Amino acid sequence: MAPLTINDVRKSYGALEVLHGVNIDITDGEFVVLVGPSGCGKSTLLRMLAGLEDISAGEVSIGGRVVNALQPKERDIAMVFQSYALYPHMTVEQNMGFSLKLARAPKQDVRDRVLDVAKTLNLEDYLQRYPRQLSGGQRQRVAMGRAMVRNPEVFLFDEPLSNLDAKLRVKMRSEIKQNHHRLKTTTVYVTHDQVEAMTMADKIVVMNAGRVEQVGSPLELYDRPANIFVAGFIGSPAMNLIAGRIVDGHFLGADGTRMTVPASAARLEGQEVKLGIRPEHLVIDPQGHPAEILTVEPTGAETLVLMQLAGHEVVGVFRERITLAPGKTLSLSLMPDHIHLFDTQTGLRIPLSPEN
Amino acid sequence: MSGKTSKLTRPGLPGWLILVGSVLLVLVCLFPFWWMVVSSVKTLRELYTVPPIWWPDTPTFQNYSNVLFQSNIPRYFLNSVIVSAGSTGLALILAIFASYGFARFKFKGKPLLQSLVLVAQLLPTAAIIVPLFITLRFLGLVNTYWGLILVYMIITLPLSVWMLTSYFKNIPVELEEAAIIDGASRLECLFRITLPLSLPGIASVMVYAFVTTWNEFIFALCFATDSSVKTLPIGLAEFSTEFNTDWGAVMAASVVMTLPIAILFLSMQRLFVGGLTAGATKG
Repeated sequence: MAPLTINDVRKSYGALEVLHGVNIDITDGEFVVLVGPSGCGKSTLLRMLAGLEDISAGEVSIGGRVVNALQPKERDIAMVFQSYALYPHMTVEQNMGFSLKLARAPKQDVRDRVLDVAKTLNLEDYLQRYPRQLSGGQRQRVAMGRAMVRNPEVFLFDEPLSNLDAKLRVKMRSEIKQNHHRLKTTTVYVTHDQVEAMTMADKIVVMNAGRVEQVGSPLELYDRPANIFVAGFIGSPAMNLIAGRIVDGHFLGADGTRMTVPASAARLEGQEVKLGIRPEHLVIDPQGHPAEILTVEPTGAETLVLMQLAGHEVVGVFRERITLAPGKTLSLSLMPDHIHLFDTQTGLRIPLSPEN
Repeated sequence: MSGKTSKLTRPGLPGWLILVGSVLLVLVCLFPFWWMVVSSVKTLRELYTVPPIWWPDTPTFQNYSNVLFQSNIPRYFLNSVIVSAGSTGLALILAIFASYGFARFKFKGKPLLQSLVLVAQLLPTAAIIVPLFITLRFLGLVNTYWGLILVYMIITLPLSVWMLTSYFKNIPVELEEAAIIDGASRLECLFRITLPLSLPGIASVMVYAFVTTWNEFIFALCFATDSSVKTLPIGLAEFSTEFNTDWGAVMAASVVMTLPIAILFLSMQRLFVGGLTAGATKG
């Protein structure tokens, strides 16, 4: 276990810079998820932490020790790959013990340690099997076991669940989380799936186009997204964004719809803004704005409704059962405490009250 | 199987035609070998009989005894083994390192170097005999094992490098990255991960290099004129002199020469099946 510091880290391939100065502080034992759309540089950053890619500029330190110039094996890290990367010509036991064997640990110690880890992962019965004889979930567990055997300071996960089917993914997600609770090893986990990020992380780092957009706890990001990108990326279905401006202390949509916003928005008089509202913060209200229903998607527990509101397609999530058919009109209002405003120019969030 | 599939009509040629075609093809390919074996157990008189005798009434092993005990063939066999094994081994070692470099590292001029490797393969044999001879004489390597081994290595190395490079490229690079994270050095990656997974590729290269050098004639004829280093193909040619040819002995010696190659192929066959990386990644 060790803290991990990423200080103004950059990565360039020739003249092309793909990471533009990333700063992240990870405390001892924290579970940090790097999330972002594909190509945002999150995997590159992880590979730089692992030592598989050079660090073009900036500093990475693990446990207070700058590791920029160190070989992967000297960094005291372990990594789980997206494709698992199990050695196909070795049994599960040999796969898991490979790092200790390379470190010339006594054979008995290797066997004991592998058995130990195999027990915690329910893999004892498979130790003599080859990777090709295992199911996807078992392979995933072997890959984790191989990392755990070394008892590293930091675990690195590179989209470890994206090859599994949906059901198994949920199961392995909680297994990884449980392991983290037990081992308390500092973990950096890369995913493009914001649900994975929300459910697993102590701290989420949202990345986009080689930059960190926001760092915070899952609910912080959900409740107070720093900018339009984070607002749209975190949460499923995504936050609705409606373009317009502030006129007479009200939000005026492009199509002329007037919406009530918190009084503090009056200071933005005349400014172009985007109004953000999460699907669950739309409520059915006879005094509200008319919205034409486009599609209705009941999931059982709740109903997703795609509607046309103020000239934009918006999604609402309702606990009530909506029986209305597409083409009909629903009357909606916005929960005032949950309205977000973003500056159209900069994309940054405009705080409306000290606590929100 | 039969119930369901028989209802589906298979596109293309009917099955019996394919069978007849395959059998014909195999017969044509194997006929020279059959003729070689049959001729090796015939007497000289039977060899020249018209119409030809398909199987002699009393097979004789006189030809084999001549070849094995009264000719230089055993010595040539040993020479061939030494030269072929030596050049194959040397080519394999160099090819492994060169191919690994080409497959895994990025460096300036890689495409140029890779195509230059092939240029050696493109030169006609006749064009390089004289330069090679002069070089070997300068180095004092004419009529030595080392001379032939080095020359054979030169002719088999280019294709070996290309074969292995493409094989190494197909081994998922994540496996080596995982090994590096596990604490392996580059060499450990190569010898503990990549090579064990490349056995089919290594086997193909070995068979290719061995067969090529085993059968090589022109270079052996020019660079090995002393019977202490002559190889089997030269030995075969020695049975035909200006005045007559002992065909029975030629055939018997040919059988002797063919056997190691056949054994090599059969023993390596299992490896060609491949599929060694199954289960490595998602699969």
